Amino acid sequence: MHAQPQHMDTRVLHDAVKPDPETGATTPTIVQSTAFAYETAESLEAVFSGREPGYVYSRIANPTVTQFERRITALEAAQGALACASGMAAISATALALAGTGDEIIAGNSLFGGTHSLFSRTLSRYGIVTRFVQATDANAYRKAITDRTRLIFVESIGNPKLDVPDLAAIAGVAHEHGVVFAVDNTLATPVLLRPKTIGANLVIHSTSKFINGHGHAIGGIIVDCGTFDWSSPRYAHLHPLHKRIGNLAFLSYLRSQVVRDLGCCLSPFNAFLMMIGVDTLAIRMERHCANAGQVAQFLAGHPRVDRVRYPGRPDHPDQALAQRQFGGRYGAVLTLELADRTSCFRFINGLKRARNLANIGEVRTLVIHPASTFCREMSVEDRAAVGVSDNLVRLSIGIEHPDDIISDLEQSLAMI
Amino acid sequence: MKLTINGETKDLPDGLAIPALLEHQKVKMPDMVSVEVNGEILERKQFETTILKDGDRVEFLYFMGGGAGL
Repeated sequence: MHAQPQHMDTRVLHDAVKPDPETGATTPTIVQSTAFAYETAESLEAVFSGREPGYVYSRIANPTVTQFERRITALEAAQGALACASGMAAISATALALAGTGDEIIAGNSLFGGTHSLFSRTLSRYGIVTRFVQATDANAYRKAITDRTRLIFVESIGNPKLDVPDLAAIAGVAHEHGVVFAVDNTLATPVLLRPKTIGANLVIHSTSKFINGHGHAIGGIIVDCGTFDWSSPRYAHLHPLHKRIGNLAFLSYLRSQVVRDLGCCLSPFNAFLMMIGVDTLAIRMERHCANAGQVAQFLAGHPRVDRVRYPGRPDHPDQALAQRQFGGRYGAVLTLELADRTSCFRFINGLKRARNLANIGEVRTLVIHPASTFCREMSVEDRAAVGVSDNLVRLSIGIEHPDDIISDLEQSLAMI
Repeated sequence: MKLTINGETKDLPDGLAIPALLEHQKVKMPDMVSVEVNGEILERKQFETTILKDGDRVEFLYFMGGGAGL
């Protein structure tokens, strides 16, 4: 028997999970406390001065949030993690911890709309320039690198384009130039892929999606794989910390400077909900993926569906790569194209169980029309780059019985 | 030898390097601690090779901005 569990099904339940040492409680303790009291002025001073470790204020760190960070760290086989109020908070904090005015980010052009907006609109106002490149073209990243590049950012599966970049190839480019490579692994989760294994330095999740799984809490997390040498000349602001604490420099800077100052902390109760989600992550992903494969097959054969996009389909341009990268599982999200926007609206309105809302990765099947919702602020060109047309519908397949999901889709397609 | 650790004078075995001192003093979260000897912050790579001597002043510091969690 291996001392450490080898399978994700077991690891989500046992990695970094122990009963509470004081009470024996087996579910995570929710430490719903703003601040932490010390017996003496001297002992609190010792923590503030850095002579003793300890909790001070939950904007900076909280014991429940720490438990969640440790669990994701273990699943990603990483060095450490920092949980944030949302996935967008995690991406914002990462970008601000690495890049300043005059610096550059390279990102795939099929990014999630929220991330695209952060890079193209918000960060650009502060002099951080993002160069968007063809997400699946590793060479395009190489060509975009300059002396000012501080971050290469990609999604392991684009949302909602569902393109799959060759992460190992992009990692190679990043390493060659001493640039940090961050992978947003929200759609794949650690169950399909641990980005550290293909050369990622940082992993980011919107934990509001599959990790939580139940659609009842917003959160995000930044994972430092421990694979980047923070003495790289591109990150001079981290060098003093690197001298003192080595490769924990980035996580320490992130917590003690960026996240402390931005205040984008995860609440202890949300950390608790995330941990309850982690317990079933592996088995949910198995079901999500199996269901999505069946739904994709059904839709591909339906006369009213013009096109289905799912990385597991043989006609998907990245199918072979996706198979290799994700071990034969392709996630829960797929898109379909109907005749026009009116057909899309009729289809969505006719669904009996699938919920029309702006989320993915919940246990229930979800549907949305991207062009009129989360991609509506984008220009037509940007929308085309992320693969969103007016006749596109996105589905996030839940863990209901596949026959019931398909029958709901079938009855609505019959009505359009 | 006598060392002054975080302002307190302590008796310790001779010839300790930093990792042994961290263990001896049961320093919390040793991966996260920074060590200052006679006013100079040591780089992590100097820990193994820095042998303490009688009279050294040692400070342990945590750079977490007031909050554990790493």
